[in-house]
Amino acid sequence: MIGKEKILEILNSVLKKSEADQSEALYIGGESGLTRYANSYIHQNVSEHNSKVFFRVALGKKIGVCSTNSFKKDDLLKTLSSAQQIASHQRENPDFPGIPDKQKSVKLKTYFKKTADFSPIQRAEIVKNICDEATKQKLTVAGSFSTGQSEIAVLSSHGLSAYQPLTSASINLVAMSDDSSGYAEGLNRDVSLIDFEELTQTAIQKCLDSKKPKGIEPGEYDVILEPAAVGNLLEWLCTIGLGAKQYQEGTGFLCGKMGKKIMSENFTLLDDGTDESGVPFPFDFEGVPKKKVIFIEKGVAKGLVYDSQTAYKDKVKSTGHSLPPPATEGPIPLNLFVRSGDSSLKKMIESLEKGLLVTRFHYINGYLDTKNALMTGMTRDGTFWIENGKVKYGVKNLRFTESMLKAFSNISLISRQRKIAVPWWGDIGAIVTPAMLIKNFKFTGKTEF
Amino acid sequence: MKEAIKETLEFLKRKKVEYADIRQIHRVTENIEVKNGNIEGISCDEDQGFGIRIIANGAWGFASSSVLSPAEMKRVANKALEIAKASSIIKKELARLSPTEVFEDQYISKYEIDPFKVPLEEKIELLLKATELLRKNDKIKVAEGSMDFHKTEKLFASTEGAFIRQSILESGAGILATAVNGNEVQRRCYPNSHRGDYATRGYEFIQGLNLAENADRVREEAIELLSAPACPDKDTTLIITGSQMALQVHESCGHPTELDRVLGTEVSLAGSSFMTLDKLNKLKYGSGKVSITADATLEGGLGSFGYDDEGVKAQRVELVKNGIFVGYLTSRETARVLNQKSNGTMRAEGWNRIPLIRMTNINLEPGEWELDNLIADTKDGFLLDMNKSWSIDDKRLNFQFGVEAAWEIKDGKKGRMHKNAVYTGITPEFWNSCDAVCNRNHWHVWGLPNCGKGEPMQTMHVAHGAAPARFRNVKVGVSR
Repeated sequence: MIGKEKILEILNSVLKKSEADQSEALYIGGESGLTRYANSYIHQNVSEHNSKVFFRVALGKKIGVCSTNSFKKDDLLKTLSSAQQIASHQRENPDFPGIPDKQKSVKLKTYFKKTADFSPIQRAEIVKNICDEATKQKLTVAGSFSTGQSEIAVLSSHGLSAYQPLTSASINLVAMSDDSSGYAEGLNRDVSLIDFEELTQTAIQKCLDSKKPKGIEPGEYDVILEPAAVGNLLEWLCTIGLGAKQYQEGTGFLCGKMGKKIMSENFTLLDDGTDESGVPFPFDFEGVPKKKVIFIEKGVAKGLVYDSQTAYKDKVKSTGHSLPPPATEGPIPLNLFVRSGDSSLKKMIESLEKGLLVTRFHYINGYLDTKNALMTGMTRDGTFWIENGKVKYGVKNLRFTESMLKAFSNISLISRQRKIAVPWWGDIGAIVTPAMLIKNFKFTGKTEF
Repeated sequence: MKEAIKETLEFLKRKKVEYADIRQIHRVTENIEVKNGNIEGISCDEDQGFGIRIIANGAWGFASSSVLSPAEMKRVANKALEIAKASSIIKKELARLSPTEVFEDQYISKYEIDPFKVPLEEKIELLLKATELLRKNDKIKVAEGSMDFHKTEKLFASTEGAFIRQSILESGAGILATAVNGNEVQRRCYPNSHRGDYATRGYEFIQGLNLAENADRVREEAIELLSAPACPDKDTTLIITGSQMALQVHESCGHPTELDRVLGTEVSLAGSSFMTLDKLNKLKYGSGKVSITADATLEGGLGSFGYDDEGVKAQRVELVKNGIFVGYLTSRETARVLNQKSNGTMRAEGWNRIPLIRMTNINLEPGEWELDNLIADTKDGFLLDMNKSWSIDDKRLNFQFGVEAAWEIKDGKKGRMHKNAVYTGITPEFWNSCDAVCNRNHWHVWGLPNCGKGEPMQTMHVAHGAAPARFRNVKVGVSR
C-alpha cells in the first residue's frame, strides 16, 4: 500500500505536465493472495503485488487512453505522452461530455486491517480446518480463499480527486463424494465476518444430502433458487441490459419497457454502492460518486446505470457506474440488491408439493436472445427434489433455457434473509439477494451426474 | 535483471528448495474499437513484472511483483518461501516434477509487418471503411469493428539451468453488425465472433482478413435474419462450419483433456472432466472420422509458442485418434500420474499468474470432403454458422451452443436462412454421430483470445484448426 498522499502527489506531478485540454489519472493497485485447494490439499498458493495507472486525455473531443503498471515517474510521463499521441490521431467523439468535474463522495468504511494483515499461514489454517471437517465425513473438498488490500484513486485536471483504500476476503468451497457435491461461498470486506465453519457445514451437508442422485426428465418445474443461484442469473442481467449502453443501442432487455410492469410485483432490483450491508465502494472509475439506482420497482422497469458518456447522450447525470477507461462496454452495476420478501427457505420448501431446490448454476450464457433475457445454464453442486413440502433427494443436474422476463414474473415467494452472492467482480462489489421461489421454470436438458 | 534472476535462483538453491523458476514478462498491447462511425476507444497498455514459483518441502509457493529491482526480487523470493511453507500445512503428496530436457534457447514468432509500426491512421481507416459499409442500411443499429495487438517478451529461468527468451507477436481483428427491429435483435460477425480472428502473426494477417470485402454480405445477412423464420425444434442432420467447430472442439475436447481438470484441481470453478484416467485409450470419444491433435508448433496459430511456461518445448500430440481417446494435455507435475513427460501445455496469462495447463492449437484434423459435395450429399438438415452463445456442464458432457445463422438443407441444396438456431447434445454421443469432415481446402486455424480458467481468472489465447463437419440426429431449436 502506497497511501493517499503519495499516490495523489505522484499523479498530480505527472498530470501537471499534460499538454492536453483535459487529463485524468486512475490508479488501481495493491497486494493480494489466493490459496487454492482440491482433493483436500493446497495445490496453488499465490501472491501478487501490482498496480495500474490509466491516463485518459482529451484534445477537444479527441480522446486517448494509455496505461502502465509501472509507478515510476518517468514511465508515468511516457504513458501520459502516449495517451496524448493517441488523442492527436483520434477523431472527435461527439458523445464525449468532458472529464467529470470535482465531486464529493460519501465516506465509507471499506478497509479492514484484519483482512489486510491476513497471512498465507492464516489462510492455510482455515483451509486445513475445512479439509479436516470434510475428511471426517469421508468427503474431499475443493475451492479457493483469497484476501487482499488495494487502493483506488482518481485525479483530474478538472479538480476531481478521489481516493479509497479497500480490502476483501472471498472463499468458495465444494464438498465432494463419489456421486454428489455441495457448495457454499462467502465474501466480505472484513474477513472476520465470514463464518467459515457455517460455510463448511453447509457445503458438507449439501454433499451428503445429494448422494445417490436420481435422474429426472427436463420440463417446467417450480424451483427454489438459493441466493448463489439468483446471483448467477443477476450477473448476466447486468451484462445484457442494466447499463445505459445496451439500452441506447437497442439490444438490452429493458428497451421499450421503461415504466411498464415486466416482472413480479414482489421483485425490486437496485444498485447501491454505498450500502454497507453489501461490498460497498463510494465512487466509480471516473471518480463520480455512486448513486442509488432502482432498475425494477415492484415489477416495473424504472432505471439504468450511467457513466459520463452515456449520461451525456441521454441528457442525464452519471450515476457513478463507469468501468476503467476506455470503458467501451459502457457502465454496469456492481452493487446489486434484491429487496427482501417475508418468506424463508423453510417456508418455501414447505409450500411446494413438487419442485426443485437449486444451490447454484454453472456456465450461464445470456446471449441467446438479449431482448427477452433468454439464458441457458446448468445446475451444479446441490440440486434437490422436493415433494410434499420436504427435500426428498438429490437429482442429477439439469440444463435450463429460460427467459428471465418470464422467470422473474413468476416469483411467488422471496425470503426475508439475504446473503452476499459472489460475482466475478468480487473485489469491487457484490450481489445481495434473498432466495426465491419461481413457478414454471423451464429445464430443457439433463446430464449424466 | 538477468543477473538478479541468476542471483535469486542461487539464493533459492541455498534455501534448499527442490525447484524454482522465474518468469519475467514485458507486454505491450494496443486496442482499437470503432462503433457507428466513431472511434469508440484507442488504448495502449504496457505491463511488466516477474513471478517466482518454487517447490519447498514438497509444497508449492508463488509470488510476483511489478516492481523490477534486485531488492524486490529478493523480497518476492522470500514471500514465495513463506507461501510454500503455508502450503505445506496441508499437503497430500510431495509436489514433484517429471524430468524434462533443459534448454538455453530463444524463440521469435514469425511475422512480416510489425503492427505497432503501422500508422494508427491506417489501422483506424481500415476499420472505419469496413464498418461504414455495415451502416449502409438503417436496420443496422450497431456497426462495430476492433483490432488488438500484443507483443510479449518472456524470459524463463529455472534452478535446473533453463534460460529461454521468447518474443511473441499476436494480431487480431473483426467486424460485427447488429440489426434491430422492434423486439428482434440479430447479428452477424466476420471473420468470427469473439472479436474476430487472431494469429501469432503481424499486420499482414489483418490485411489478409479482407474485412471491408466481407462487410456487404455481413450487413445483408444480419438484416435477413430479422425476418427469417426461427429454427424449428427437431432432431436432424447438421453441417457445422469451421468457426463453430472450433468452439465445439474447444469446449468439448480441449477443456476435458486438460489433465489438471481431470485430477480435480479446477473443480470448484470450471469443473472437472468426464474423460477420467480409466477412459484413456478405451473411450470411443467419436466416430472413426474424428481425430483431434494439440499442436503448439503450428506456424501462426494463436496457441503457438517455442516453449511453455515450464520451459518444455512446444509439441504436437494426439488427443483423439480415429475416434479413440488417446491423450491428455499435461504439465510436468501432472504427467507423472501417467508416467509420462510433459507435453508442454503450461502457460500463464502473465507474470503475476501461475502457469496452468492450457490449450495450445487444438485441432480437428481435416477429412476428405469438399463442402459443396457434403451439402449435396445431405437430404435434410441445417448448415449452422458462427457462434452466438455457449454453455456446457462442469464435466463437459451436456452442451448447448447457439449460432448466428442456420440455412436449411433440402435434397442436397442450401435453402432459406433461419434465426435463433441452438443445438444441444452429450459430448461423446455428438462426436460419435460425426460422419464427415471437410478437407484441408476448408480447414482454418481459428484464434480464440478469450479462454478463461483458474483463480485468479486467467484469460488465455488459444486456437483451433477446424473444417466444416457433419453430424447426424442432433437436437436443434430449444431456445423458445
